[in-house]
Amino acid sequence: MDSLNQIAAVVWATLVVLLAPLFAFILSAALGKRMRSGWLATVAMVISLIAAIFVFSQIWNNEPIHQQIQWFQIGNHPFAVGLILNNLSVVLLVLVCAIALPVFIYSRVYMKGDPGIHRYWMYLSLFCFAMLGLVVADGLLLLYMCWELVGFASYLLIGFWFTKEAAIKANKKAFLINRIGDLGFLIGIAILYTQFQTLDIITLFGEQGLVKQAPPTVLLTWAGIAFFLGAMAKSAQFPFHVWLPDAMEGPTSVSSLIHAATMVAAGVFMLVRISPLFDAQVLFFIAGIGAFTAFMAATIAVTQQDLKKILAFSTISQLGFMMVAIGLGQYGVAIFHLVTHAFFKCLLFLSAGAVIHEMSHLKVQHRLNMDPQDIRNMGGLRKFMPWTFRLTAVAALALAGLPLTAGYLSKDAILIYAFEWSEWQSGVWKIIPISLLISSALTAFYIARLVFKVFFGKFRLNRTFRKQFHLHEAPKGMRYPMVFLAIGSLYFLYSYNPLVFEDAWLLRGLATTTSLQRVNIYHTVIPAAVNGLSIIFIYVAWRWYGRRKYPIRSLSGPWYRFSEAQWYGHHVYGTIVKGTLGLAKILYAFDRKVVDGFVNSMGGLISALGNIARWLDCYIVDALINGLGNLSFKIGGILRGPRKGKVQYYMLSMFLVLLVVLLIGLQFF
Amino acid sequence: MIGLFHLLTVSAFLFAVGIYAVLAKKNAILMLIGIEFMINAGVLNLVAFGRYDRAFYGGQTFALFAIVLAAAAVAVALAIILNVYKHYKSIDPDDVTDLRD
Repeated sequence: MDSLNQIAAVVWATLVVLLAPLFAFILSAALGKRMRSGWLATVAMVISLIAAIFVFSQIWNNEPIHQQIQWFQIGNHPFAVGLILNNLSVVLLVLVCAIALPVFIYSRVYMKGDPGIHRYWMYLSLFCFAMLGLVVADGLLLLYMCWELVGFASYLLIGFWFTKEAAIKANKKAFLINRIGDLGFLIGIAILYTQFQTLDIITLFGEQGLVKQAPPTVLLTWAGIAFFLGAMAKSAQFPFHVWLPDAMEGPTSVSSLIHAATMVAAGVFMLVRISPLFDAQVLFFIAGIGAFTAFMAATIAVTQQDLKKILAFSTISQLGFMMVAIGLGQYGVAIFHLVTHAFFKCLLFLSAGAVIHEMSHLKVQHRLNMDPQDIRNMGGLRKFMPWTFRLTAVAALALAGLPLTAGYLSKDAILIYAFEWSEWQSGVWKIIPISLLISSALTAFYIARLVFKVFFGKFRLNRTFRKQFHLHEAPKGMRYPMVFLAIGSLYFLYSYNPLVFEDAWLLRGLATTTSLQRVNIYHTVIPAAVNGLSIIFIYVAWRWYGRRKYPIRSLSGPWYRFSEAQWYGHHVYGTIVKGTLGLAKILYAFDRKVVDGFVNSMGGLISALGNIARWLDCYIVDALINGLGNLSFKIGGILRGPRKGKVQYYMLSMFLVLLVVLLIGLQFF
Repeated sequence: MIGLFHLLTVSAFLFAVGIYAVLAKKNAILMLIGIEFMINAGVLNLVAFGRYDRAFYGGQTFALFAIVLAAAAVAVALAIILNVYKHYKSIDPDDVTDLRD
């Protein structure tokens, strides 16, 4: 009885987690401009967080709960709607709330005075609701609906400043590219439904799930690829990564939420949720794409000049790391990295937001003609914004993966597993751990470059405009959420041992996957190698950007341009789009000239035939009938010539006719 | 001996006289008289052929009906002629042309 009560309480608490943001969304939508302060959305998120922590405490390492009710029925196939609460969902549940709440509090200050702020709170609540629903959904259909809702809410938020042309382009791009992925997801769902006639996640992917018992077929491989396509678009993997840097057109607080816990995490989460589906080929594919994306994005981030773009490519790169972890079969590690990355990436974005906030103030205040996001305009901000600098430094160290941070634990886990995994693969696959190692070193370099360029040296605008500008520290409402996130970026939240990732409680709760044979040597060599490389690269960055001993004179080398143009990804897409448009034009011309021409000439032919028929009808058939009619009329006229009312004439003619008839009759008898 | 032939001859003669009167006379009364001639020709035929029906005398009986009907018809016709005269001040059938088309 007690356990039943407990289950009911947990289910209700989960519903509270879900419905609080939904309620805030509906009420904000109904009240419109009266909800400018955002207290409702923030309070709803506090309630969600408290309820999520309660659910977490009840479920973590306990019996999972799966509750569902019948939703609707098509023919004989019932569809259920319900919740799954296991270790995976409760971690994400708490993570989403814990990341969203600081962002909400931060936004209260950051977005203050924006004319459309009531819409902002509304969209943000919807976004969180969609993500929370996605995390606990127990059926692929419900998961897909929440998935779409996440995409839609992000579309609204990216285009929040809808008067900006770039924002509208960016949100369209994000939406369209996500549609490609959604198509993959939908195809995956369709394949699974035709194979197993159910969409229930437990029935499909549980311990005794249908997928595990089913014989491996090509169709299931394709289903895995299709689902991965969905995750590629959502989690911005090559070649669908192009939307994420453009999504920077939204408010910075939105970017932090998209990059940390809500939008891009959905793809990784979904892959982990359906992980039993993947066979060896799909896993190789995922690992390959992930490693390539991680490397590509890291090389691009090295040369970007826009503060937010650097962070965007950093996110793509880190998502590549997570994808590699999934490709290795280490789903727990992927989620672990997702959690730690959520904290430090959110923190990085919020600090970037604080810096951009100040720079924009400066721009407005002094009417300067400059880009507030360009790191070439910054420098020396350490003196003006010491807290922001410290918090950024913590996040940067976590991203670079130095010891004592959470990033160290999760990133080393991925790298070590990658090396252990490559032991068992053929030589070609060694490229994956090696490329990850390079990406990791590049990560340390680009984030160090960002920190040194923004916070060290002298404030460059002073020299450009020959004036002494003064910046202010971020206000408290923005600083405290950042402090909270900084705590989440340190090791002690995850493990008592700062150096060995295997002690992390989070990883133990999630380690449900086939363990590789532990190669002890890697567990010491790789962290040392990674950190050695990172420190070397950070030192190089310090010499180049901190000390301004920049060795490269010209910035026009082919490699530099290749990286700065983001590997010409946009150009490739532009060519594809142009080609498609050209093809469409050719097809249009073909349609107009050939197809329409044929139809039109057929029409003309039919019309001409019709005219001939009409002429025949008019002048031959009608003329015949009319002629006959006229003839009868004329004859009638002639015949009734003495029609003058002479009764005796009539009688005589009647008599004569009678006589004739009688005579004719007589002939017959 | 007066036979059927003689009777039919007289009947045909009477019919011819009647139809001449009806077709040729310019006086409605004389046309009426012509009609009576024709009816009487018919009655004479009935009586003449009646000799073949000794059992029921159907011919003679039918002749009596015809005479009575003819008398009624004459009454109606005279009434019409009277009204025609009142209307047209003439009983020449050629003057009564209002029903032509």
